[in-house]
Amino acid sequence: MQDTGWDIGTDIGGTFTDILAVHAGTQEARIAKVPSRPTAPVRAMLEAIAAVGLAPGEVRRFVHGTTRVTNALVEERLPKVALIATAGFEDVLEVGRYRREDLYRLDVPPKPRPLVPHERCFGLRERLDHTGAILEGLTEAEIARAIAWLKETGAESVAICLLHSYANPVHERMLAEALAPHVPHLCVSHEVNPEAREYERASSTAFNAAAMPIAVEYLSELEAKLPLGSGLQVFHSAGAMVPVPAAKRRPLVMAASGPAAGVSASARMARELGRPRVLTFDMGGTTTDVCLIVDGQAEMTDTRMIGGRPLRQPMLAVHSIGAGGGSIVKLGPGGLSVGPESAGSEPGPACYGRGGQRPTITDANAILGYLDPEVKLGDTITLDIAAAERAVAPIAAELGLGVTETALGILRVANAAMARALRRVTVERGVDGRDCTLLAFGGGGPMHAAGLADLYGLKEVIVPAASSAFSALGCLTADFSFLQQRTVRLPLDGFARKVFEERLVELTHDAIAPLIANGIPAREIAIEHVALMRYAAQSDSLPVPFALPFDPQAIVQEFHRRHHMLFGYATEEHCVVESLRVQARKPSIIPMARPNVGRPARPARSRRCVFPGIGATDTSILPRETLGGSVNGPAIIEDAWSTVIVPPGWQARGDDAGNLFLTRSTA
Amino acid sequence: MIPLDPFVVEVIRHGLSAAAEEMSLVMTRSARSPLLREAGDLSSALTDAAGGLVGQGRDIPIHLGAMAYTVPELLNVWPAERFREGDAVIYNLGALGGNHLNDVKVVRPVFVDGRIVAFAISLAHWPDVGGTWPGSYLAQAVDTFQEAMRIPPMPIVSTEGVNRPVLDFILANVRDPVSCEGDLMAQVAATQAAERRIHELCAQHGTDVFLETLARLHDLSEAEMRAALGDLPDGVYEGEDFLDDGGPGGAPARIHVRIAISGETATFDLSGSTDRVTNFCNTTPFIARSAVCYAARILSGRDMQQNAGALRPFNIITRPGSVFEPGWNAAVAAGNHETSMRIVDAVFRAMEQVIPERLSAGGPATSGLLAFAEPRPGDTWRMLYEVHGGGEGARHDRPGSPATRVHLTNTSNTPVEVIEANYAVRIGEQSIRRGSGGAGRHRGGDGVVRSYRILSPSMWLTSCVERTRVPPYGLAGGEPGLPFRITLERGGERSTVPGKTNMLLQQGDLVTMESCGGGGYGPPAAG
Repeated sequence: MQDTGWDIGTDIGGTFTDILAVHAGTQEARIAKVPSRPTAPVRAMLEAIAAVGLAPGEVRRFVHGTTRVTNALVEERLPKVALIATAGFEDVLEVGRYRREDLYRLDVPPKPRPLVPHERCFGLRERLDHTGAILEGLTEAEIARAIAWLKETGAESVAICLLHSYANPVHERMLAEALAPHVPHLCVSHEVNPEAREYERASSTAFNAAAMPIAVEYLSELEAKLPLGSGLQVFHSAGAMVPVPAAKRRPLVMAASGPAAGVSASARMARELGRPRVLTFDMGGTTTDVCLIVDGQAEMTDTRMIGGRPLRQPMLAVHSIGAGGGSIVKLGPGGLSVGPESAGSEPGPACYGRGGQRPTITDANAILGYLDPEVKLGDTITLDIAAAERAVAPIAAELGLGVTETALGILRVANAAMARALRRVTVERGVDGRDCTLLAFGGGGPMHAAGLADLYGLKEVIVPAASSAFSALGCLTADFSFLQQRTVRLPLDGFARKVFEERLVELTHDAIAPLIANGIPAREIAIEHVALMRYAAQSDSLPVPFALPFDPQAIVQEFHRRHHMLFGYATEEHCVVESLRVQARKPSIIPMARPNVGRPARPARSRRCVFPGIGATDTSILPRETLGGSVNGPAIIEDAWSTVIVPPGWQARGDDAGNLFLTRSTA
Repeated sequence: MIPLDPFVVEVIRHGLSAAAEEMSLVMTRSARSPLLREAGDLSSALTDAAGGLVGQGRDIPIHLGAMAYTVPELLNVWPAERFREGDAVIYNLGALGGNHLNDVKVVRPVFVDGRIVAFAISLAHWPDVGGTWPGSYLAQAVDTFQEAMRIPPMPIVSTEGVNRPVLDFILANVRDPVSCEGDLMAQVAATQAAERRIHELCAQHGTDVFLETLARLHDLSEAEMRAALGDLPDGVYEGEDFLDDGGPGGAPARIHVRIAISGETATFDLSGSTDRVTNFCNTTPFIARSAVCYAARILSGRDMQQNAGALRPFNIITRPGSVFEPGWNAAVAAGNHETSMRIVDAVFRAMEQVIPERLSAGGPATSGLLAFAEPRPGDTWRMLYEVHGGGEGARHDRPGSPATRVHLTNTSNTPVEVIEANYAVRIGEQSIRRGSGGAGRHRGGDGVVRSYRILSPSMWLTSCVERTRVPPYGLAGGEPGLPFRITLERGGERSTVPGKTNMLLQQGDLVTMESCGGGGYGPPAAG
């Protein structure tokens, strides 16, 4: 690529669109935030480009992460989707798995309505068994019947999910070819998610079909406004970039791609700074996302629930909890709790002075003096601390405590909820979280990080340079990669090398094809192989990376070792490779200078802030841009978009790149 | 008493829930039997040093309720002084706060500075515990000795590691010892995980604060439950529902409750229920209490931590000689999930006139169990446990959901693609049983149809399903749902399979399970 023009990463969130632009030649970096426009996302992107002082013609590469697809699915603003399944199993989405989340509540329905209503589900006469053998063939007459039915429904998009298609896609392919001329959008389960368990696969395929019309329309508009060809890319929820044509076929790869981008930037940072275990802590207005990074690689997961329905595809294991700065604080019988109810952006926390009456986490921060009362947030909001105090007062009265003490308590409870999320992502992987470094970003992350670290016993917090637009940075710096995963179920006793190698060749081809299509030379593509293994009688698999040539004995030993590490025991049972995962990757290198957050220089100041254990104390307020040397807490480090709290007993030190390192004072 | 920071109480409460959830996660991720790893028939709980429940996972309410008695009854026969740090015991006896022999508990005392501060309980439904019939459900069992192996408390692990003679004894008495060992090790690992978390909580907040917090959590839930009872009108309310029968060919068997609410306390008297039955639907008084606690939680209409404190305002009476106190030799395999559910229904019927808006109409209040046992080469068995939900009962403000689990159970189905890859069974159909929900202002949810074609020469079937004769009731004038139906097609002949039976199947047989629909709510619109 030429070294002129700008590379841009953007993260389109619910409230703000973040943008980070890096010039290819000078490495100059610019950051901005503009309000998101839910009804006109492409316009918001163009406004973001203007906000960093650029015109579309100056952009060389544009990568974006977005919650647009996920939001449409959660809010059920869905196009008309049809489902075709094996006859006798067309109710697969409505039957589901039975299990309910709330044990003791009858007022909430135990399960969501099926994504595709009964009248748009079709039973196709055909049948395979679990080995892929055909028990009942798919006839031309049956295909004709399906076409006639589909036309009748008027569906915009159709999902095809036939039993055991992960073992043999022949019928799905035949049907897809025949239906393609008759429906605008179509997707097949063996492409979306070629893995066993029909409900999870059908649900993922239906989600994908529902997302296609929305994504195609939006991506096409984007292509028209930003005609960058292969320079226009989308962030993938598995932590990499994909070209737009691939995203149109499988739009679900964009699900939760914003949070994934933040994690991806964190993984890169963990590698560069040599931190073996990192917990990411991305606290926004309504949710907090956490993820574990071990040896520079973010953990992966296979399933995420969206609106109570499973989406199964390889994704970064980002765990979200419904507690963020805007979460409502309640005093109930069980005690004090935060979220999942949120004040949202309207009316927002009470301290925003826009009519919010109920106390939020942000109000507690305002009462304690952590937020700057002189600065307008996003140019529109002026902080109203008295309003925050009025909102917290009823809880304080009921507890018999002062407002300040109550605010401190609210932060402790909020941090306990966050700590539970951290625990969840570490224990699932058998990692003791206390050895980790906490990497804090997003609006609230740097504010809560040290308090959370105290509660959880973490020794180090890092607030990265571009912390307020970290997901946008992740879009820009992630590797170019594509990932394929497929159920193979190969036993390792009497190992079938030929079958194994055939599957590996097929998967590798599928994984590198999108990269090659995007002009990347094959020799620059790195391939990673992972076997998802289990004891023959188990159902959950553990990821076990392996190198070629494949050594069955070595991988069995590695599996036993990992099982023992996670669950505290290993046995002599036979094990199987349930699935194979192949990831093709082209590393990207984006050198960039310390980002300019676009704010005039400010002198150091001080104000009264309250900290646990020591009460109100004069606290230095330091501009982040010009911070030098190390600073002892209590202190607050600010820039235009972020507030970093250094509590008493902690110290902060900056590096040349603009990263902040918080550790406990040695004294 | 130590003054407690209310915020520390909240932090520890989060920590206890997280620890119990982690136990269940360890189980489902590493267990062997599909009943545990796919259907999730397991539960995890933490208790204080006296055995009072303090934390639980999001598992199965009937287990969680009964576990309130698991440790206190154990301590009666196995005094706390006998435990050493690192020990865990295994047992399944009904008399020790138990329910049925398939639910095997591993209990680990958690020590801090040489004293017990808590217990971790991992309960798992083993797909086979030996006995007369593979799967350990014998419908016509005369007594519990025919049902399964009875395990008194035995040390299964210590700091020395696994107690091999005890493990070998257990494995010698089950039909799938390989899976059984893996499942049992997963249970042990789950209790170890809980131990680590409790150690962390004590280290972080101080052991005294931790112990005081457990007491406080009980008090908070007790206060909440008392307040909820205080809001209900004082009075005596009676309700009843019926088991399909109390033995082969018998008439429906009555389950009756008399609820006396007085101020902030309530008495639930189950004495009017049927005598000991002649099939496996008897149960233990612990299960009766567990079911009452679930029902009371629904009546309260409030959110609270489910713990031992929430039980304090109740007096629960069972009658010796009845189905709830049949003697410790009675067969109990099914009573755990069938008879217990009828208590919830009887309570709902009793309160129907008082707080209809908090209740739902009758639903699939049964385990919906079909167990297929296939003899395999090498004298082992492969067990497919199918547990089915049905249509949820409607409520005052919404229709019932189709194909779901209600009340005391919360197990999942097993995917068709998993069944066919692992068992000599092919699923012919899986669909919604349209029109099975009862009519009403709001309709009951529809049940499910699933059929099983037998591919192996021999297959041993167990059915354990209620609601085949007595259908799920409608509420406030709604119609009942359609009852459960199981049919067998063999050589072109169709016959009905009884809801509670054991029988041999042949290659080519087709067994079809149609689960019940939920009852409707309110009178259906005219015309």
